[in-house]
Amino acid sequence: MLTRFVDNLGSGTLGICRRFGSIGVFCIDAIRTLFTTRLKVKKTFYQMSYIGVGSLSIIFLVGSAVGAVLALQIYIGLERYGATQFVGPIVFIAMAREFGPIFASLMVIGRAGSAMTAELGSMRISEQIDALQTLCINPLQYLIVPRILASTIIVPFLSIFCSFFGIFAGYVTSIYVLNINPETYMEAIRSNVELSDITNGIIKAIAFGFILSVIATYKGYTTKGGAKGLGICTTQSVVFANVSVILADYILSSLMFTK
Amino acid sequence: MIQIRNLKKAFGPKVITRDLNLDVQDGEFLAIIGRSGEGKSVFLKQIIGLIKPDSGSVLIDGQDITKLGRRARQQIFHKCGYVFQFAALLDSLNVLENIGITLFENGRSMDEVTPLVEAKIKSVGLAEDVLDKYPDELSGGMKKRVGLARTLMLNPKILIYDEPTTGLDPITVRLIHELIHKTHVEQKVTSIVISHDIEIFKYATQVAMLHEGKIVYKGPAKTIWECDNPYIYQFIRGLPEGPIKQIGFVKEV
Repeated sequence: MLTRFVDNLGSGTLGICRRFGSIGVFCIDAIRTLFTTRLKVKKTFYQMSYIGVGSLSIIFLVGSAVGAVLALQIYIGLERYGATQFVGPIVFIAMAREFGPIFASLMVIGRAGSAMTAELGSMRISEQIDALQTLCINPLQYLIVPRILASTIIVPFLSIFCSFFGIFAGYVTSIYVLNINPETYMEAIRSNVELSDITNGIIKAIAFGFILSVIATYKGYTTKGGAKGLGICTTQSVVFANVSVILADYILSSLMFTK
Repeated sequence: MIQIRNLKKAFGPKVITRDLNLDVQDGEFLAIIGRSGEGKSVFLKQIIGLIKPDSGSVLIDGQDITKLGRRARQQIFHKCGYVFQFAALLDSLNVLENIGITLFENGRSMDEVTPLVEAKIKSVGLAEDVLDKYPDELSGGMKKRVGLARTLMLNPKILIYDEPTTGLDPITVRLIHELIHKTHVEQKVTSIVISHDIEIFKYATQVAMLHEGKIVYKGPAKTIWECDNPYIYQFIRGLPEGPIKQIGFVKEV
Protein backbone atom coordinates (compact mmCIF):
# COMPACT_ATOMS: atom_id res chain seq x y z
CA MET A 1 0.00 0.00 0.00
CA LEU A 2 2.83 2.37 0.91
CA THR A 3 4.63 1.47 -2.32
CA ARG A 4 1.51 2.28 -4.33
CA PHE A 5 1.17 5.62 -2.50
CA VAL A 6 4.78 6.55 -3.25
CA ASP A 7 4.33 5.34 -6.83
CA ASN A 8 1.21 7.52 -7.33
CA LEU A 9 2.86 10.47 -5.65
CA GLY A 10 5.91 10.15 -7.89
CA SER A 11 3.98 9.74 -11.13
CA GLY A 12 1.65 12.61 -10.15
CA THR A 13 4.61 14.90 -9.45
CA LEU A 14 6.27 13.90 -12.70
CA GLY A 15 3.02 14.58 -14.57
CA ILE A 16 2.77 18.08 -13.09
CA CYS A 17 6.44 18.80 -13.89
CA ARG A 18 5.94 17.54 -17.45
CA ARG A 19 2.86 19.75 -17.91
CA PHE A 20 4.58 22.87 -16.57
CA GLY A 21 7.65 22.09 -18.66
CA SER A 22 5.51 21.71 -21.73
CA ILE A 23 3.78 25.08 -21.12
CA GLY A 24 7.19 26.64 -20.53
CA VAL A 25 8.56 25.31 -23.82
CA PHE A 26 5.41 26.47 -25.64
CA CYS A 27 5.76 29.92 -24.08
CA ILE A 28 9.46 30.20 -25.03
CA ASP A 29 8.66 29.04 -28.59
CA ALA A 30 5.94 31.70 -28.87
CA ILE A 31 8.24 34.46 -27.59
CA ARG A 32 11.02 33.31 -29.93
CA THR A 33 8.56 33.30 -32.84
CA LEU A 34 7.45 36.84 -31.93
CA PHE A 35 11.02 38.13 -32.24
CA THR A 36 12.22 36.02 -35.16
CA THR A 37 9.29 36.14 -37.58
CA ARG A 38 7.19 38.87 -39.17
CA LEU A 39 4.30 39.90 -36.94
CA LYS A 40 0.81 39.34 -38.35
CA VAL A 41 -0.34 42.89 -37.63
CA LYS A 42 -3.85 42.55 -39.07
CA LYS A 43 -4.52 39.39 -37.09
CA THR A 44 -3.17 41.00 -33.91
CA PHE A 45 -5.49 44.00 -34.33
CA TYR A 46 -8.40 41.68 -35.03
CA GLN A 47 -7.68 39.80 -31.80
CA MET A 48 -7.30 43.07 -29.87
CA SER A 49 -10.70 44.13 -31.13
CA TYR A 50 -12.23 40.75 -30.32
CA ILE A 51 -10.78 40.61 -26.80
CA GLY A 52 -11.03 44.32 -26.03
CA VAL A 53 -14.12 45.78 -27.67
CA GLY A 54 -16.05 42.55 -27.18
CA SER A 55 -15.33 42.50 -23.43
CA LEU A 56 -16.01 46.18 -22.75
CA SER A 57 -19.70 45.89 -21.87
CA ILE A 58 -19.15 43.08 -19.39
CA ILE A 59 -16.18 44.94 -17.89
CA PHE A 60 -18.43 47.98 -17.44
CA LEU A 61 -21.08 45.95 -15.63
CA VAL A 62 -18.66 44.05 -13.39
CA GLY A 63 -16.42 47.05 -12.64
CA SER A 64 -19.40 49.23 -11.68
CA ALA A 65 -20.94 46.54 -9.49
CA VAL A 66 -17.65 45.83 -7.69
CA GLY A 67 -16.98 49.55 -7.10
CA ALA A 68 -20.46 50.17 -5.72
CA VAL A 69 -20.34 47.12 -3.43
CA LEU A 70 -16.86 48.07 -2.22
CA ALA A 71 -18.05 51.56 -1.29
CA LEU A 72 -21.02 50.14 0.64
CA GLN A 73 -18.98 47.54 2.54
CA ILE A 74 -16.07 49.83 3.32
CA TYR A 75 -18.48 52.50 4.56
CA ILE A 76 -20.09 50.02 6.98
CA GLY A 77 -16.65 49.05 8.35
CA LEU A 78 -15.25 52.56 8.62
CA GLU A 79 -18.37 54.02 10.16
CA ARG A 80 -17.61 52.06 13.36
CA TYR A 81 -14.35 54.02 13.70
CA GLY A 82 -15.70 57.36 12.44
CA ALA A 83 -13.35 57.24 9.44
CA THR A 84 -15.85 57.32 6.58
CA GLN A 85 -13.78 60.00 4.78
CA PHE A 86 -11.42 57.19 3.74
CA VAL A 87 -14.02 55.37 1.65
CA GLY A 88 -12.82 57.19 -1.50
CA PRO A 89 -9.10 56.36 -1.30
CA ILE A 90 -9.76 52.78 -0.22
CA VAL A 91 -12.13 52.18 -3.15
CA PHE A 92 -9.66 53.86 -5.50
CA ILE A 93 -6.64 51.88 -4.30
CA ALA A 94 -8.57 48.59 -4.18
CA MET A 95 -9.87 49.06 -7.71
CA ALA A 96 -6.60 50.29 -9.22
CA ARG A 97 -4.31 47.80 -7.49
CA GLU A 98 -6.47 44.70 -7.24
CA PHE A 99 -9.99 44.50 -8.51
CA GLY A 100 -9.48 46.30 -11.82
CA PRO A 101 -6.71 43.97 -13.06
CA ILE A 102 -8.21 40.84 -11.50
CA PHE A 103 -11.80 41.29 -12.66
CA ALA A 104 -10.75 42.44 -16.14
CA SER A 105 -8.60 39.29 -16.45
CA LEU A 106 -11.27 36.96 -15.11
CA MET A 107 -13.82 38.39 -17.54
CA VAL A 108 -11.39 38.01 -20.45
CA ILE A 109 -10.68 34.40 -19.42
CA GLY A 110 -14.39 33.59 -19.32
CA ARG A 111 -15.21 35.30 -22.58
CA ALA A 112 -12.17 35.39 -24.86
CA GLY A 113 -9.83 32.84 -23.23
CA SER A 114 -12.36 30.03 -23.46
CA ALA A 115 -13.12 31.02 -27.06
CA MET A 116 -9.38 30.93 -27.92
CA THR A 117 -9.06 27.41 -26.51
CA ALA A 118 -12.22 26.19 -28.22
CA GLU A 119 -11.26 27.70 -31.60
CA LEU A 120 -7.68 26.43 -31.57
CA GLY A 121 -8.78 23.06 -30.21
CA SER A 122 -11.33 22.68 -32.94
CA MET A 123 -8.65 23.57 -35.50
CA ARG A 124 -6.32 20.98 -33.99
CA ILE A 125 -8.96 18.23 -34.05
CA SER A 126 -10.00 18.98 -37.64
CA GLU A 127 -6.30 18.93 -38.71
CA GLN A 128 -6.34 22.61 -39.71
CA ILE A 129 -3.18 23.27 -37.67
CA ASP A 130 -1.43 20.32 -39.35
CA ALA A 131 -2.61 21.69 -42.69
CA LEU A 132 -0.99 25.06 -41.94
CA GLN A 133 2.30 23.28 -41.28
CA THR A 134 2.13 21.36 -44.55
CA LEU A 135 1.50 24.67 -46.33
CA CYS A 136 4.78 26.02 -44.90
CA ILE A 137 2.96 28.36 -42.52
CA ASN A 138 4.24 28.54 -38.96
CA PRO A 139 1.16 27.95 -36.74
CA LEU A 140 2.78 29.78 -33.84
CA GLN A 141 3.30 32.86 -36.00
CA TYR A 142 -0.12 32.60 -37.65
CA LEU A 143 -2.32 31.62 -34.70
CA ILE A 144 -0.59 31.91 -31.35
CA VAL A 145 1.56 35.06 -31.35
CA PRO A 146 -1.28 37.42 -32.45
CA ARG A 147 -3.50 36.12 -29.65
CA ILE A 148 -0.86 36.33 -26.92
CA LEU A 149 0.32 39.77 -28.03
CA ALA A 150 -3.22 41.12 -28.37
CA SER A 151 -4.19 39.88 -24.92
CA THR A 152 -1.01 41.25 -23.31
CA ILE A 153 -1.66 44.68 -24.85
CA ILE A 154 -5.41 44.90 -24.36
CA VAL A 155 -5.94 43.49 -20.83
CA PRO A 156 -4.17 46.52 -19.21
CA PHE A 157 -6.59 48.83 -21.04
CA LEU A 158 -9.54 46.74 -19.90
CA SER A 159 -8.12 46.86 -16.38
CA ILE A 160 -7.97 50.68 -16.56
CA PHE A 161 -11.58 50.77 -17.76
CA CYS A 162 -12.66 48.33 -15.06
CA SER A 163 -10.92 50.42 -12.37
CA PHE A 164 -12.41 53.63 -13.77
CA PHE A 165 -15.96 52.24 -13.84
CA GLY A 166 -15.50 50.85 -10.31
CA ILE A 167 -14.12 54.11 -8.92
CA PHE A 168 -16.91 56.06 -10.62
CA ALA A 169 -19.58 53.70 -9.28
CA GLY A 170 -17.97 53.98 -5.81
CA TYR A 171 -18.11 57.77 -6.09
CA VAL A 172 -21.78 57.75 -7.13
CA THR A 173 -22.70 55.33 -4.31
CA SER A 174 -20.75 57.30 -1.72
CA ILE A 175 -22.19 60.68 -2.70
CA TYR A 176 -25.78 59.81 -3.56
CA VAL A 177 -26.46 56.75 -1.37
CA LEU A 178 -24.14 57.17 1.61
CA ASN A 179 -24.29 60.98 1.63
CA ILE A 180 -20.53 61.55 1.90
CA ASN A 181 -19.44 65.09 1.07
CA PRO A 182 -18.05 65.04 -2.50
CA GLU A 183 -15.26 67.53 -1.72
CA THR A 184 -14.12 65.51 1.30
CA TYR A 185 -14.28 62.37 -0.83
CA MET A 186 -12.11 63.80 -3.63
CA GLU A 187 -9.68 65.50 -1.25
CA ALA A 188 -9.10 62.19 0.58
CA ILE A 189 -8.33 60.51 -2.74
CA ARG A 190 -5.92 63.27 -3.76
CA SER A 191 -3.97 63.12 -0.53
CA ASN A 192 -3.84 59.32 -0.10
CA VAL A 193 -3.42 57.85 -3.59
CA GLU A 194 0.00 57.56 -5.26
CA LEU A 195 0.88 57.15 -8.90
CA SER A 196 2.46 53.76 -8.12
CA ASP A 197 -0.99 52.47 -7.09
CA ILE A 198 -2.08 52.94 -10.70
CA THR A 199 1.14 51.85 -12.45
CA ASN A 200 1.50 48.68 -10.37
CA GLY A 201 -2.07 47.75 -11.26
CA ILE A 202 -1.26 48.19 -14.95
CA ILE A 203 1.92 46.09 -14.63
CA LYS A 204 -0.14 43.35 -13.01
CA ALA A 205 -2.70 43.51 -15.83
CA ILE A 206 0.08 43.11 -18.43
CA ALA A 207 1.28 39.99 -16.60
CA PHE A 208 -2.26 38.62 -16.32
CA GLY A 209 -2.97 39.25 -20.01
CA PHE A 210 0.15 37.31 -20.92
CA ILE A 211 -0.50 34.43 -18.52
CA LEU A 212 -4.14 33.90 -19.47
CA SER A 213 -3.44 33.95 -23.20
CA VAL A 214 -0.49 31.55 -22.93
CA ILE A 215 -2.66 29.08 -21.02
CA ALA A 216 -5.69 29.50 -23.31
CA THR A 217 -3.65 29.08 -26.50
CA TYR A 218 -1.58 26.22 -25.08
CA LYS A 219 -4.64 24.24 -24.06
CA GLY A 220 -6.24 24.80 -27.48
CA TYR A 221 -3.07 24.06 -29.42
CA THR A 222 -2.52 20.75 -27.62
CA THR A 223 -6.14 19.56 -27.64
CA LYS A 224 -6.72 15.90 -28.43
CA GLY A 225 -9.54 13.43 -28.09
CA GLY A 226 -12.33 14.76 -30.28
CA ALA A 227 -15.36 16.69 -29.05
CA LYS A 228 -15.07 15.32 -25.51
CA GLY A 229 -11.38 16.26 -25.38
CA LEU A 230 -12.18 19.75 -26.63
CA GLY A 231 -14.76 20.21 -23.86
CA ILE A 232 -12.28 19.00 -21.23
CA CYS A 233 -9.50 21.24 -22.57
CA THR A 234 -11.75 24.31 -22.61
CA THR A 235 -12.84 23.71 -19.01
CA GLN A 236 -9.24 23.06 -17.92
CA SER A 237 -8.12 26.19 -19.71
CA VAL A 238 -10.63 28.40 -17.86
CA VAL A 239 -9.94 26.81 -14.46
CA PHE A 240 -6.17 26.78 -14.88
CA ALA A 241 -6.07 30.37 -16.18
CA ASN A 242 -8.27 31.62 -13.31
CA VAL A 243 -6.12 29.91 -10.68
CA SER A 244 -2.88 31.04 -12.34
CA VAL A 245 -4.00 34.67 -12.51
CA ILE A 246 -5.01 34.67 -8.84
CA LEU A 247 -1.73 33.03 -7.80
CA ALA A 248 0.22 35.48 -9.96
CA ASP A 249 -1.74 38.29 -8.31
CA TYR A 250 -0.60 37.16 -4.89
CA ILE A 251 3.03 36.85 -6.00
CA LEU A 252 3.05 40.23 -7.76
CA SER A 253 1.28 41.92 -4.84
CA SER A 254 3.87 40.50 -2.46
CA LEU A 255 6.67 41.83 -4.65
CA MET A 256 5.12 45.23 -5.33
CA PHE A 257 3.39 46.26 -2.15
CA THR A 258 5.25 44.52 0.69
CA LYS A 259 7.87 46.75 2.26
CA MET B 1 12.66 8.67 -53.97
CA ILE B 2 11.27 7.84 -50.55
CA GLN B 3 13.04 5.21 -48.45
CA ILE B 4 11.49 4.20 -45.15
CA ARG B 5 13.65 2.09 -42.86
CA ASN B 6 12.72 0.32 -39.58
CA LEU B 7 10.06 2.87 -38.73
CA LYS B 8 8.67 2.46 -35.22
CA LYS B 9 5.90 4.40 -33.57
CA ALA B 10 3.78 3.65 -30.52
CA PHE B 11 1.25 5.66 -28.56
CA GLY B 12 1.55 4.22 -25.08
CA PRO B 13 1.00 0.47 -25.30
CA LYS B 14 -0.54 0.70 -28.80
CA VAL B 15 2.09 0.01 -31.46
CA ILE B 16 1.29 1.74 -34.76
CA THR B 17 4.30 0.91 -36.92
CA ARG B 18 6.97 -1.67 -36.12
CA ASP B 19 10.13 -2.06 -38.17
CA LEU B 20 8.28 -0.80 -41.21
CA ASN B 21 10.27 -0.75 -44.46
CA LEU B 22 9.06 0.68 -47.77
CA ASP B 23 10.56 2.19 -50.92
CA VAL B 24 8.61 4.52 -53.21
CA GLN B 25 10.23 5.31 -56.55
CA ASP B 26 9.97 8.70 -58.27
CA GLY B 27 6.85 8.92 -60.40
CA GLU B 28 5.25 5.93 -58.70
CA PHE B 29 1.51 5.88 -57.93
CA LEU B 30 1.31 3.84 -54.74
CA ALA B 31 -1.97 2.83 -53.15
CA ILE B 32 -1.70 1.86 -49.49
CA ILE B 33 -4.44 -0.40 -48.22
CA GLY B 34 -5.18 -1.86 -44.82
CA ARG B 35 -7.93 -2.27 -42.28
CA SER B 36 -9.44 0.68 -40.47
CA GLY B 37 -7.47 1.54 -37.36
CA GLU B 38 -4.22 0.04 -38.69
CA GLY B 39 -2.48 3.43 -38.37
CA LYS B 40 -2.28 4.30 -42.07
CA SER B 41 -2.82 8.00 -41.45
CA VAL B 42 -0.22 8.02 -38.66
CA PHE B 43 2.16 6.27 -41.05
CA LEU B 44 1.62 8.93 -43.73
CA LYS B 45 2.11 11.71 -41.20
CA GLN B 46 5.44 10.15 -40.23
CA ILE B 47 6.50 10.20 -43.87
CA ILE B 48 5.88 13.93 -44.13
CA GLY B 49 7.22 14.78 -40.66
CA LEU B 50 3.96 15.80 -38.98
CA ILE B 51 4.47 12.98 -36.48
CA LYS B 52 7.94 12.09 -35.24
CA PRO B 53 8.65 8.34 -35.21
CA ASP B 54 10.12 6.72 -32.09
CA SER B 55 12.92 5.29 -34.20
CA GLY B 56 13.84 4.51 -37.79
CA SER B 57 14.37 6.81 -40.74
CA VAL B 58 12.44 8.40 -43.59
CA LEU B 59 14.71 9.44 -46.43
CA ILE B 60 13.28 11.76 -49.06
CA ASP B 61 15.76 12.20 -51.91
CA GLY B 62 18.47 10.95 -49.53
CA GLN B 63 17.62 13.41 -46.75
CA ASP B 64 16.51 11.88 -43.43
CA ILE B 65 13.57 14.03 -42.38
CA THR B 66 13.37 12.50 -38.90
CA LYS B 67 16.61 14.27 -38.03
CA LEU B 68 15.63 17.68 -39.36
CA GLY B 69 14.85 20.71 -37.21
CA ARG B 70 11.61 22.64 -37.55
CA ARG B 71 12.93 25.11 -40.15
CA ALA B 72 14.58 22.48 -42.31
CA ARG B 73 11.43 20.39 -42.13
CA GLN B 74 9.52 23.26 -43.72
CA GLN B 75 11.53 22.64 -46.88
CA ILE B 76 10.12 19.11 -46.93
CA PHE B 77 6.62 20.56 -47.07
CA HIS B 78 7.63 22.36 -50.29
CA LYS B 79 8.50 18.95 -51.73
CA CYS B 80 5.65 16.93 -50.25
CA GLY B 81 2.05 18.01 -50.44
CA TYR B 82 -0.49 16.44 -48.10
CA VAL B 83 -4.19 16.21 -48.88
CA PHE B 84 -6.10 15.63 -45.65
CA GLN B 85 -8.91 13.13 -45.21
CA PHE B 86 -11.54 15.81 -44.62
CA ALA B 87 -9.62 18.49 -46.54
CA ALA B 88 -8.77 20.48 -43.35
CA LEU B 89 -9.80 23.77 -44.93
CA LEU B 90 -9.57 26.76 -42.61
CA ASP B 91 -13.14 27.57 -41.51
CA SER B 92 -12.53 31.29 -41.19
CA LEU B 93 -11.28 31.71 -44.76
CA ASN B 94 -13.17 31.48 -48.05
CA VAL B 95 -12.06 29.19 -50.87
CA LEU B 96 -9.91 31.87 -52.53
CA GLU B 97 -8.11 32.62 -49.26
CA ASN B 98 -7.76 28.92 -48.44
CA ILE B 99 -6.15 28.06 -51.76
CA GLY B 100 -3.96 31.15 -51.89
CA ILE B 101 -3.04 31.16 -48.20
CA THR B 102 0.64 30.39 -48.72
CA LEU B 103 0.98 33.19 -51.28
CA PHE B 104 -0.95 35.66 -49.13
CA GLU B 105 1.23 34.80 -46.16
CA ASN B 106 4.31 35.48 -48.28
CA GLY B 107 3.08 39.01 -48.91
CA ARG B 108 1.54 38.56 -52.37
CA SER B 109 -1.40 40.85 -53.17
CA MET B 110 -4.96 39.81 -53.98
CA ASP B 111 -4.46 40.92 -57.61
CA GLU B 112 -1.45 38.65 -57.98
CA VAL B 113 -2.96 35.65 -56.23
CA THR B 114 -6.49 35.62 -57.71
CA PRO B 115 -5.54 34.57 -61.30
CA LEU B 116 -3.27 31.81 -59.95
CA VAL B 117 -6.04 30.50 -57.72
CA GLU B 118 -8.56 30.70 -60.57
CA ALA B 119 -6.29 28.58 -62.75
CA LYS B 120 -5.80 26.05 -59.97
CA ILE B 121 -9.51 25.80 -59.18
CA LYS B 122 -10.23 25.10 -62.85
CA SER B 123 -7.56 22.41 -62.91
CA VAL B 124 -9.38 20.50 -60.16
CA GLY B 125 -12.68 20.80 -62.01
CA LEU B 126 -14.44 23.48 -59.99
CA ALA B 127 -16.10 26.65 -61.23
CA GLU B 128 -14.80 30.08 -60.28
CA ASP B 129 -18.01 30.94 -58.43
CA VAL B 130 -16.95 28.78 -55.47
CA LEU B 131 -14.07 31.13 -54.71
CA ASP B 132 -16.06 33.35 -52.37
CA LYS B 133 -17.77 30.46 -50.60
CA TYR B 134 -16.75 29.28 -47.11
CA PRO B 135 -15.89 25.62 -46.34
CA ASP B 136 -19.21 24.97 -44.59
CA GLU B 137 -21.02 25.90 -47.82
CA LEU B 138 -19.20 23.20 -49.84
CA SER B 139 -20.06 19.54 -50.34
CA GLY B 140 -17.61 16.79 -49.31
CA GLY B 141 -16.36 16.29 -52.87
CA MET B 142 -15.88 20.03 -53.41
CA LYS B 143 -13.92 20.32 -50.17
CA LYS B 144 -11.56 17.56 -51.30
CA ARG B 145 -11.01 19.31 -54.63
CA VAL B 146 -10.33 22.61 -52.87
CA GLY B 147 -7.95 20.78 -50.52
CA LEU B 148 -6.09 19.35 -53.51
CA ALA B 149 -5.98 22.75 -55.26
CA ARG B 150 -4.54 24.31 -52.10
CA THR B 151 -1.84 21.63 -51.90
CA LEU B 152 -1.00 22.02 -55.60
CA MET B 153 -0.27 25.73 -55.12
CA LEU B 154 3.12 24.72 -53.69
CA ASN B 155 3.90 22.60 -56.79
CA PRO B 156 5.05 19.61 -54.74
CA LYS B 157 7.00 16.69 -56.25
CA ILE B 158 5.29 14.21 -53.96
CA LEU B 159 1.56 14.15 -53.25
CA ILE B 160 0.20 12.24 -50.29
CA TYR B 161 -3.55 11.64 -50.02
CA ASP B 162 -5.14 10.49 -46.78
CA GLU B 163 -8.32 8.57 -47.71
CA PRO B 164 -9.43 11.08 -50.36
CA THR B 165 -12.71 9.31 -51.11
CA THR B 166 -14.01 8.62 -47.61
CA GLY B 167 -17.68 9.44 -47.24
CA LEU B 168 -18.30 10.20 -50.92
CA ASP B 169 -20.87 8.70 -53.28
CA PRO B 170 -19.61 6.26 -55.99
CA ILE B 171 -19.80 8.85 -58.77
CA THR B 172 -17.80 11.41 -56.80
CA VAL B 173 -15.35 8.66 -55.79
CA ARG B 174 -14.66 7.93 -59.44
CA LEU B 175 -14.31 11.65 -60.24
CA ILE B 176 -11.87 12.15 -57.37
CA HIS B 177 -9.83 9.09 -58.44
CA GLU B 178 -9.70 10.42 -61.99
CA LEU B 179 -8.63 13.81 -60.70
CA ILE B 180 -5.86 12.22 -58.62
CA HIS B 181 -4.73 10.24 -61.67
CA LYS B 182 -4.87 13.30 -63.93
CA THR B 183 -2.83 15.30 -61.41
CA HIS B 184 -0.35 12.43 -61.17
CA VAL B 185 0.15 12.31 -64.94
CA GLU B 186 0.04 16.03 -65.73
CA GLN B 187 2.14 17.25 -62.79
CA LYS B 188 4.52 14.26 -63.06
CA VAL B 189 4.43 13.74 -59.30
CA THR B 190 4.93 10.76 -57.02
CA SER B 191 1.53 9.90 -55.56
CA ILE B 192 0.82 7.98 -52.36
CA VAL B 193 -2.84 7.31 -51.68
CA ILE B 194 -4.44 5.63 -48.70
CA SER B 195 -7.69 4.10 -49.78
CA HIS B 196 -10.23 1.48 -48.82
CA ASP B 197 -11.67 1.67 -52.28
CA ILE B 198 -10.64 -1.14 -54.63
CA GLU B 199 -11.37 1.23 -57.55
CA ILE B 200 -7.98 2.78 -56.80
CA PHE B 201 -6.23 -0.28 -58.32
CA LYS B 202 -7.33 0.94 -61.77
CA TYR B 203 -5.20 4.05 -61.38
CA ALA B 204 -2.31 3.01 -59.11
CA THR B 205 0.92 1.48 -60.40
CA GLN B 206 1.81 -0.21 -57.10
CA VAL B 207 -0.13 -1.46 -54.10
CA ALA B 208 1.20 -1.87 -50.56
CA MET B 209 -0.65 -3.38 -47.67
CA LEU B 210 -0.17 -2.28 -44.07
CA HIS B 211 -1.01 -4.88 -41.45
CA GLU B 212 -0.14 -4.88 -37.77
CA GLY B 213 2.37 -2.10 -38.22
CA LYS B 214 4.27 -3.64 -41.15
CA ILE B 215 4.10 -3.64 -44.91
CA VAL B 216 3.10 -7.24 -45.59
CA TYR B 217 2.93 -6.86 -49.36
CA LYS B 218 4.05 -4.53 -52.10
CA GLY B 219 3.51 -5.31 -55.75
CA PRO B 220 2.07 -4.09 -59.04
CA ALA B 221 -1.54 -2.91 -59.06
CA LYS B 222 -2.31 -4.39 -62.47
CA THR B 223 -1.98 -7.98 -61.27
CA ILE B 224 -3.41 -7.46 -57.80
CA TRP B 225 -6.46 -9.69 -58.49
CA GLU B 226 -4.16 -12.57 -59.42
CA CYS B 227 -1.98 -12.06 -56.36
CA ASP B 228 -1.76 -15.09 -54.07
CA ASN B 229 -0.48 -13.24 -51.03
CA PRO B 230 -2.93 -14.41 -48.32
CA TYR B 231 -3.36 -10.93 -46.80
CA ILE B 232 -4.11 -9.32 -50.15
CA TYR B 233 -6.31 -12.21 -51.22
CA GLN B 234 -8.45 -11.92 -48.10
CA PHE B 235 -8.52 -8.12 -47.95
CA ILE B 236 -9.48 -7.22 -51.52
CA ARG B 237 -12.20 -9.87 -51.58
CA GLY B 238 -13.47 -8.90 -48.14
CA LEU B 239 -13.26 -12.46 -46.81
CA PRO B 240 -13.87 -12.98 -43.08
CA GLU B 241 -11.53 -16.02 -42.95
CA GLY B 242 -7.80 -15.67 -43.41
CA PRO B 243 -4.66 -14.32 -41.77
CA ILE B 244 -6.29 -10.95 -41.03
CA LYS B 245 -8.07 -11.41 -37.72
CA GLN B 246 -11.28 -9.55 -36.93
CA ILE B 247 -10.97 -7.31 -33.90
CA GLY B 248 -13.94 -6.35 -31.76
CA PHE B 249 -16.42 -8.69 -33.49
CA VAL B 250 -18.06 -11.77 -32.05
CA LYS B 251 -18.06 -14.68 -34.42
CA GLU B 252 -21.57 -16.05 -35.01
CA VAL B 253 -22.01 -19.75 -34.15
